Amino acid sequence: MRSVDSIKNRKMRFWLKKVLWRHVVGIVVAAFALFPLVWMISAAFDVTGQISTQQLIPVHKGLDNFVQLFSNKEKPFGIWSKNSLIIAISAAGMQVIIGALAAYSLSRHRFKGRKLTLTTILIVQMFPQLLAATTLFLIINTFGRSYAFLGLGHQLPLILVFGGSALGVNTWMLKSFFDTLPTEIDEAAKIDGAGHFEIFRKIIIPLATPIFVVTFLLSFIGIINEYLITSVILGLDGKNMTVAVGLQQFIYGQYGKNWGPFTAGALLATIPVMTLFIFLQKHLVSGLVSGSTKG
Amino acid sequence: MNIKAVSKGSKYLFAFGFILILLVMGTKLYQDKAWFLAIFFYVSAALIFYTYSISKSTPAKYLLPGVLLLTLFHIYPAFYSGAVAFTNDSNGHQLTKDQAIAAIVQDSKIPIATQEPVKYQTLVEEGSKKVFVLFKYESENYWLSDGKAIRSVSPDPRSVLVDGTVVKVGGFTILSPDQTQAQIAVLQNLVINLDSGISFQPQDLETLEVSQPAFMYNEAKDELINTLSGESYEPNDNGQMVSKSGEVLYPGWKANIGWRNFSSIITDKEIRRPLLAVLVWTFANAFLLVLISFLMGLVLALIFNFPALRSKRFYRTIFIIPMAIPSVLSLLVWSGLFTAETGVIDRLFHISIPWLTHPWWARVAVLIVELWITFPYMFLITTGAIQAIPGEILEAAAIDGASPAKSFTQIKLPLVVRTVAPLLVASVAMALNNFGAIYLLTGGGPTFSNSNGNAGATDILISYTYKLAFNSQEGNNYGLASALSILNFLIVGLISIYGLKKMKTMEGIN
Repeated sequence: MRSVDSIKNRKMRFWLKKVLWRHVVGIVVAAFALFPLVWMISAAFDVTGQISTQQLIPVHKGLDNFVQLFSNKEKPFGIWSKNSLIIAISAAGMQVIIGALAAYSLSRHRFKGRKLTLTTILIVQMFPQLLAATTLFLIINTFGRSYAFLGLGHQLPLILVFGGSALGVNTWMLKSFFDTLPTEIDEAAKIDGAGHFEIFRKIIIPLATPIFVVTFLLSFIGIINEYLITSVILGLDGKNMTVAVGLQQFIYGQYGKNWGPFTAGALLATIPVMTLFIFLQKHLVSGLVSGSTKG
Repeated sequence: MNIKAVSKGSKYLFAFGFILILLVMGTKLYQDKAWFLAIFFYVSAALIFYTYSISKSTPAKYLLPGVLLLTLFHIYPAFYSGAVAFTNDSNGHQLTKDQAIAAIVQDSKIPIATQEPVKYQTLVEEGSKKVFVLFKYESENYWLSDGKAIRSVSPDPRSVLVDGTVVKVGGFTILSPDQTQAQIAVLQNLVINLDSGISFQPQDLETLEVSQPAFMYNEAKDELINTLSGESYEPNDNGQMVSKSGEVLYPGWKANIGWRNFSSIITDKEIRRPLLAVLVWTFANAFLLVLISFLMGLVLALIFNFPALRSKRFYRTIFIIPMAIPSVLSLLVWSGLFTAETGVIDRLFHISIPWLTHPWWARVAVLIVELWITFPYMFLITTGAIQAIPGEILEAAAIDGASPAKSFTQIKLPLVVRTVAPLLVASVAMALNNFGAIYLLTGGGPTFSNSNGNAGATDILISYTYKLAFNSQEGNNYGLASALSILNFLIVGLISIYGLKKMKTMEGIN
């Protein structure tokens, strides 16, 4: 009995000394990490819609903010969500496809200037497109004079702009994954008479599905988040806006701050992204960390 | 066999269809004088044709789509920015020289003193119901115009009265004075221009006022002459017409001004003063953020990389939530929480800090929020780096009698720093360009008093550039904004190249 007691005691002391404080730190940091999310949720269900009277647990609870969000004809949240989804899904899809093509070649083919190619697309990528907003505005404006559907206020030019905008990062991430796939499979397929595109389509793509999912998700979040180029190219016209641009309209101006519907919309936009993120956490973490642990 | 042939055939059809579209669009752009874009479309079409039907190079087939998009939307804008930086492109300097001179001439119209008012009649076109005016001026024929187009008509002589009044024009209904009165709103806004530069404007319900431009452009001498005062205006090197006495005519045009945008960064006190403050904060913000968030990530990684802690998975999930909320939304939520006095933070902690309106508190708020966004990433990469340290090294150190503290400072820390250093450099580059965090949280504010382009205490170079280009109260200055873009390009680019050189994964190539 004594020995069991002492083991228990020791375990207890160990827990108190080595583990407890880690929980304390964990809770404090978790509070920091969750802070804005918690208040976003509380504000979304607070029918008064005021920053100044907001309580952690709203006094007047209700769904008024959500009703307001979907009934406002000048600020059509439904249309914004649709715009955001169309733009983000098509552009992220384009990013992944173009990145995968480049990554496959850089991973599997040996050619002169291979290193230079990867370095160049990476460095061009490091110059953020944000800086070129002025120029993109002028280019798209010029397009619009010849073809209205490629002009300002239209989604297609924006999708094209975003379609090539994460090439460096995506190519890099996809290439590191392709590199881990054994080349023996390709060789075997080649002997069986498969061409380079067949190898890509029938071998690489199925094997690399997880990394495609991760790349797509990161690209998708990146585009959903984009605000500047989107607003420069689509303009600030009610029906053209995306969620990221449009929700800001609720809180623009000193007098017209409409906190309730804004937080309700922000919550609705956050939930699906966050769910996917947590669901795919393992893959995402390995994708992000690969840069630091490799080599 | 057949299926393969069909798929190959459809592939060619698709490729050639695409090439054809590019050629057609290129031609249209060429007709609309969008030279670069036209050339880009033609060259793309040629490259696509070459790469997919003649060339034997396999890599090119895979790299071309990305390269084309990158060229149009990354590389070309970079060069275009460069070109704009050498012009004075800004409000009042956006037309070409010809357009600007035409606008000056057009705006200078004054009534001709010696000219009798011209009589007119009001008509409505049958069908379209558009309002037209009909009058006679220095010609046998009558002029008929709705203010947009003008044409000459010769009514049947039998339908013209002695005083020149027309009673019948085919396709039109001539209005009575009462009916004319009803169209007064349209008539008030009507201006009819003849090719000779003379224009007509209804001054009452019966007569037109005749005006002509005061300025005349002499193409041979490249000067504008004011026909009233006789003064002549000549172009200066800033894209404006200026008289000898220094009077400037507006609008100006887009002119090449060489390195003046760049030199003005140094020489113009109005520009230099806010820019210097902005630059200091740009670097301070980036380095402080990366340093603090790295330290926080490292400490958390050390604390939670502890086998006996069973809930570390759970904590990790919570910690990465800031990454999972679209930052454009979380930033705006933070800006609400930081509202002075009434905001949640001030009320929750019973303080009254003017977070977003006081320069230093605004900077602290920006750092807190940026830290909230970046610490999860730092936590993940340092955790990865710590877990990648081979256990044998630490064991060997322990056997050699190294204390835990010593093994940390001499083995763990250097190894972690070495692995994540390139990522930290990349983070600095990203922080230098973190437009969203600044723009959405503080808008760069609080604004310095009388600064060029509304620079503010938390403005970083990119947010200040954006203000200069799109959002300035003194008028948008694209030329200067582009020059600053290049400056930012250089700073971020050099730091990125430095980071890339340190990147280990690059060594794996060749």
